[in-house]
This record gives sequence, C-alpha cells and structure tokens, in this order.
Amino acid sequence: MPATTTSPLLQLEQLTSVRPGPQNRPLTVLSAVSCSFRQGELTALIGPSGSGKSSLIRLINRLDDPLQGQILLEGQDIRELAPPLLRQRIGMMLQKAHLFEGTVLDNLQQPFRYRKKPLPGPDDPHITRCLTLARLTPDFLERDARTLSGGEQQRVSLARTLISQPQALLLDEPTSALDRPTTDSLGQTLQELCRSEQLAIILVTHDLRLAERISDQLLYMEQGRIVEIGRTTELFERPQSEGLRSFLSEPETEKT
Amino acid sequence: MSDTNSLIHLDLLQLVYAYALILLSVSLARFRQIGQERQMLWASLRMVVQLLAVGYLLQLIFTVRSPLLVILILLTMTGFSLQIVGSRIKQRMPGFYRIMGSSILIGCGGITFYFCLLVVGYTPWHDPRYLIPLAGMIIGNSMNGASLAAERLAAEMRERHDELETALCLGATARQAAEPALRTAYKAALIPTMNTMAATGIVALPGMMTGQILSGTEPMLAVRYQIAIMCAITAAVAITAFLILLQGYRGYFTPADQLRNTP
Repeated sequence: MPATTTSPLLQLEQLTSVRPGPQNRPLTVLSAVSCSFRQGELTALIGPSGSGKSSLIRLINRLDDPLQGQILLEGQDIRELAPPLLRQRIGMMLQKAHLFEGTVLDNLQQPFRYRKKPLPGPDDPHITRCLTLARLTPDFLERDARTLSGGEQQRVSLARTLISQPQALLLDEPTSALDRPTTDSLGQTLQELCRSEQLAIILVTHDLRLAERISDQLLYMEQGRIVEIGRTTELFERPQSEGLRSFLSEPETEKT
Repeated sequence: MSDTNSLIHLDLLQLVYAYALILLSVSLARFRQIGQERQMLWASLRMVVQLLAVGYLLQLIFTVRSPLLVILILLTMTGFSLQIVGSRIKQRMPGFYRIMGSSILIGCGGITFYFCLLVVGYTPWHDPRYLIPLAGMIIGNSMNGASLAAERLAAEMRERHDELETALCLGATARQAAEPALRTAYKAALIPTMNTMAATGIVALPGMMTGQILSGTEPMLAVRYQIAIMCAITAAVAITAFLILLQGYRGYFTPADQLRNTP
C-alpha cells in the first residue's frame, strides 16, 4: 500500500444525480455521494447492478453532470475546466472499447487529431511508451485495430487513453468480456500502471476476485449510496454492513 | 424566347384523342379481365383534374404583379415542402422544424434569388412566370436532399453512440466527435443529385429541357438552361443539407460537450 499523505487528486462532494424515469418522473441514481481518490491508488467500485457505479464515474470526466454537489480536481471545480481538457486529464475507458477504423497507430494518433497537434509516427517515443505501458509490442502498430482479440482491443484502448498523459483513469468494467487469464493479466497491467505512473485509477467491476487482488481502496455501493468505503484488505476480511457481507459471500458466477 | 411558329397548340379534340389512349388501356384490361381498370380510370381522372387546376392556378399567379404576393406564394411552397419532409421522417432531430425551415429558406431561397437575378437576369425580379417555376424546381429537388440529410443524421447519431462517447472521452469537442457522422449524412444527402447529374443526357433527358424543346426552344438554348438549373439545384441541395447538419448535430450535445439523452 503506497504511503500517500498528500491531499487527494479527486474529491467528490455530496453528489446527487437523477435521470428521467417512467412518465418523466425523475429517478434518483445517486444520492449524496462523497468520497476521494488519491494518485497512485487503485480503487475498485463494486455493488449490485443498478447501484450507480457507472453513473458515478461518468460524472468524474463530465460525460454527465450531477444535479447537486461538486467534484474537485486538485482543489478546482471541474466545471471550471473546458470539458475536452478535463477529459484529457481524466482518461476513461468505456465498457465497450470502440476502436476507430484503421490501424492501431491511427487509433493512438486520434487524441492528437482532436488537439490539432502534428501526428507522431510509429517511432515516436511517446507512442512506444504508451504501448509499453499497456503491455503491447511495437509490431501491433500496423495491425488493423478491429481484427484484434478482445483482450488486445482493451489494451489498445488503454494505450490510447494513456496518450493524453492523464492523472486519473476511469474504467467501466473493462474485463467483463474477457476470460480469466486475460482478465488477470490486464488487472496486473493496471496495478503496475497505477504504481509507476502514480495514476488514480477507479475501476468499476463485477469481478470480486480481481477487485480483491489489485485494488487498494474498496468502495461498495447500493441503490445510489456508498455503503462502505475503506482499505480493500480490511473490507474483504471484516465487512461492516449486512449488504457487503452478503454481496461478498454470493457465488462468483452470479456477479459476472 | 420561344419561336411561336413551331409551337403546336393542343385543342380539346386533340386532348380527347390523347385521353382515348387511357380508355383503350381500360377497355383492354376489362376485356381480358386482368383488373386495374377502375384504378386506371380513377387515377387518370385525378391527373386531369389536378393538372387543370394547377394550370388555372398558375395562370392566375402569373398575372400577379405584387412582389409581396409572390414572396407569400414562395413561403407557402416552402411551408408545404417542410410539412411533406416532416411527415416523411420518423426520427426527428431535436428542433426539427426550426432547423429544417431555416435551412430550406436560406439554402433554397438564396440559390433561387441568385439564379433569378444573376444567371437568368430578367426584370422585374419578382416576375412570377420565372420565379415560381424555378423556385418550385429548386425546392422540389432539395426536399429530397434535406430529408435524406435529416434522416441520416438521426440514424448516425443513434448508431454511433459508443463511438461518439469514446471520442468525447479522448478529448474531442462535440463537433470533432460528430464529424464522421456528419460526413456520412452529407454524402447520403448529395448522392441522388450527383447520380442525376451523371445520368443526365445519357440515361434520361431532363423534363425541363424536353419541355422547352417541345415548345419550340432551340436544343442548344434548352441545354444551356438545363445546365444552369442543374448547377442551381446541386448548390441548393448542398447548402440546405450543410445547414441542416451543421445546426442539427448541436441538438444531440449539451454545451459542455456531453451527449444528450435523446429518445
């Protein structure tokens, strides 16, 4: 566990979020959620389906906005930043990695196109570095991105997110379509990335084994609220709430 | 413009001869019992009545000397085209009628006046004899492009949902994220017009040109008119579709470059 005494990178304060429900009546998705995330710390966000895990991380890079509450990035309200710049600082991998048509290199160049910067070539040190961080080899660069396997596609998506040199990384069930060995290997990559790059990683997952193995902080949600938050090892050993206790004891198959 | 000596008038008797062709087809259908005779008869009667009505209407309109009234007629035509496009499209983008109305008005209206004032250059500028048919051709042809642009945009924004969010996550602005969808929709809007241009003169002789030739215009002059009107139609389709897409994609995003939840 990294000894982090510095102030958190991200502070979420009293976040409440709604979405239109049946007959246009607002449905509460998140209610008064507060928590914080530090650099070099990997947080696993767990809880039953519909508990608001994805909704929560979508607020952090402003894919959605909360009804109430605020999010501070290094003490600054994220609404003060231009959304494209915010999203470069807080990278996000969606559940389904969408790779653009073309080669892996084309995909890695995409963030440069958005910033209207000159495109780096295959030998560019930054490209090579992001590939290496995502545990891909340079021979991938010329391959057609859409013909890669599921695990490889997730790695390309990871490398592409790293191109912008984000401070935080949000991952929405990146392993849900992967088999056990591929999941474990991607999990290990994330853990190493978190340490070496001092990233704040927030991982939404149904995979309890993965959460236990790689995360430092565990956040358990139920019905739009944080029920428990703490060190992963402690919560797995001594869950305080009835909800988390039964969630952890349910057979693995029901959550994947 | 036209040489009236070579113009052959059709009198009532000649029209009756022409209509006899319908009666021949109907009686053939009846005699051989293959059906459709009632439908043929009904459709042909509708055609005759509608055309006579529009003929009287045009004759009436051509006597109009007031620019205001001509403009009013043009606006009514635009309104009808808007209504037709609206009824044809199931999936409408946010702000559909405002966007479609302003785009057709600016795109088609602008081109029509450019064409009438600069290309044909007749006086007075509001002479309904030129303005109304030319505007009709330009609006009528642009309607297709306009509805294709709107329809394609709505479909692309729905189908590309994941791609759009991925682009936003990578730091794209709403405009940058929508770019591929806009390109596809623009292409779809322009294809029919470009196909028509490519086929003109080889596969089909355009109606306006044929009509002018039949009414005594020199073929080369009719061809020049056809070239000019095709340029105008293409530009009208291009500008109208461009305006629809440029205004239309915005409705799918919030000002903070977020995808809006559209039904």
